[in-house]
Amino acid sequence: MARGEIRLIGLSKEFADVLAVDHLDLAIPGGEFFSLLGPSGCGKTTTLRMVAGFERPTEGRILLDGTDVAYTPPHKRNVNTVFQNYALFPHLNVFDNVAFGLRRAKRPKDELRERVAKALELVQLTGLEKRKASQLSGGQQQRVALARALVLNPAVLLLDEPLGALDAKLRKALQIELKTLQREVGITFLYVTHDQEEALTMSDRLAVMNGGRVEQVGAPQEVYESPETLFVADFLGVSNLMDATALGTTGGGCRVALQRFELEAGGGASDAKGPVKIVIRPERVELEPHGNAAPNRLPGMVERVIYVGSAVQVIVRVATGETLQALVPNTGKELPYEQGTPVALFLPVDALRVLPVGERAAPPEDAAETAAETAPVSTGPS
Amino acid sequence: MSAVAELQAPPTRSSVGRFRGWLTNPWGRPRFLVVMTWAYVVWSLVPVLIAVQFSFNSTRSRTVWQDFSTRWYWGDPVDSVWHDPGLRSALVQSLKLASADVLIATPIGVLLAIGLARWHGFGSRPSNFLMLFPLVTPEIVMGVSLLLIFTEVFTFVGTGTTAQILGHVTFSISYVVVIVRGRLFSIGRQYEEAAADLGASPTGALVRVLLPLLAPAIVASAAVVFAISIDDFVISQWLSSGGDTDTVPIQIYSATRAAPLPSTNAIATLMMLLTLASVTLGFLVWRAFTRGERRAGAKVAEEFRTFEMR
Repeated sequence: MARGEIRLIGLSKEFADVLAVDHLDLAIPGGEFFSLLGPSGCGKTTTLRMVAGFERPTEGRILLDGTDVAYTPPHKRNVNTVFQNYALFPHLNVFDNVAFGLRRAKRPKDELRERVAKALELVQLTGLEKRKASQLSGGQQQRVALARALVLNPAVLLLDEPLGALDAKLRKALQIELKTLQREVGITFLYVTHDQEEALTMSDRLAVMNGGRVEQVGAPQEVYESPETLFVADFLGVSNLMDATALGTTGGGCRVALQRFELEAGGGASDAKGPVKIVIRPERVELEPHGNAAPNRLPGMVERVIYVGSAVQVIVRVATGETLQALVPNTGKELPYEQGTPVALFLPVDALRVLPVGERAAPPEDAAETAAETAPVSTGPS
Repeated sequence: MSAVAELQAPPTRSSVGRFRGWLTNPWGRPRFLVVMTWAYVVWSLVPVLIAVQFSFNSTRSRTVWQDFSTRWYWGDPVDSVWHDPGLRSALVQSLKLASADVLIATPIGVLLAIGLARWHGFGSRPSNFLMLFPLVTPEIVMGVSLLLIFTEVFTFVGTGTTAQILGHVTFSISYVVVIVRGRLFSIGRQYEEAAADLGASPTGALVRVLLPLLAPAIVASAAVVFAISIDDFVISQWLSSGGDTDTVPIQIYSATRAAPLPSTNAIATLMMLLTLASVTLGFLVWRAFTRGERRAGAKVAEEFRTFEMR
């Protein structure tokens, strides 16, 4: 078994009155690139900080390769962290920053020099040993932070939104680099991010978090294609969500009624009954000429056509009164739709999912954000 | 054509209007503020400069200028700073108190600041607030209470040098705490966490990371402590046992009340130079230590400057 297996069992953290992490259970096998994805205030950073040892759990266990480290101080854990703003020591140069951990471990001089050189080579910073952190670009600082953590051969590398401070282009390049690096060193990466694209691109598996709990765990494709909860459907990418009534199971899926229209949904809770939500990704919605009466079609009228570069976004108001989004790839041809064109929307059975409307209804992303920001205020005496 | 010329011609104004425009032009330099600043600088510096000038007077007058001379520093065999035993011992006493104060108050203040900044729990807030008390307590009140304590409670201390040092340390610690705590808040917890993450024990993190990062604040606070200690009159006076425990400010005060000579100006000049030197040193060290951190800010400032020139 590869080193760096993490198991979180019933892990909770309470700050004042706020339950930041709520009885979290996660199992991450060694050598996996695992992401915690969620809006700010969802508890992902607190979880990471508990694994690092900066926060003491209120309850629960953290098993690192089978040993409970929940109450081990951070300097005695075999995990290292790449901080959001890197936290490179400003009074030390690149070499001394990378050598810091080895010096604390009292490694002999030649070994130290050799390992620092190797770590800097790994992140392609050879030759910059004498520079101060302030003389490096953002991307270079990020690499120093990586080298500083990796030089200690940790079982697990923790990354707290390490690309958040970089511009979009550099971020893309470093996403690929990080993933390559992870394969190369073969240790577990626990990656915290609020950027769904980052999580989908890099992770072997990811957990979508909300309100201190895990909503869904799975491979990127699984989580994106088959969201199990409303929150996941809404948080990951753009989703078309519609209110519907589940009528019961058919052969392949679930019959749902949207007012006078009946559709068949192939995914999700096929045994649901009563009020549900149905969801479909914009890129799976197909536009057809008006009047097509084949199954799983909804008539509607184009409300807006938005050019987004690689694709064209078509907003359609369907006959039930809701608006749906269709994403049509840009093939260079002019689309035969404009504002007011009547169309039919084809919602393929396998692309349409039924989601139960539970108490864990997803707040819109910005609402969750606001709640997280105002939460500490509401804990005061009021 | 003429319409355009008319539009471009600046409106003619009276000289008063032009002066007001020069002073308050919203697109130009903030000249009103510049004038105010210089007025204040002149107002506060001129008396000092005159006092310094008369310390170099060749006669016994502190009001009528004669010739340049260093008589009052060391030339005069009786009344110069160098030869007058009272002034000389005062200078020694002042330096002794200030050095002891720096050596004792700085380390205690640094540790207190770290403790107060990192301690979150019952009593941390009141303690943080109480630290500011010595800064706002009238010095005369503190002097009286310290005298009472040293002569009635801890009678083994009594008055004299020990009492004076204890008094100076008591009020200097607050300055150190305030300066160092400010720096602690600005550097945050992240470097300590990074150090712990890389395997440094709490003590290791303190020595290898926190103290080097605090160095500029520590040096600056030491300079400030030196400056306020050497400048102190009230506490030194209350806790003085007379004679050779009188400090320079006490000497200047009593000399001025008796028969003032330019040697008083000379010793005051020396005091001012010492204070200036310590504060300048502190500032230079701060700059040297924080050069890297300021670079990002300087870049922004540069951009502003080029923007302004356009």
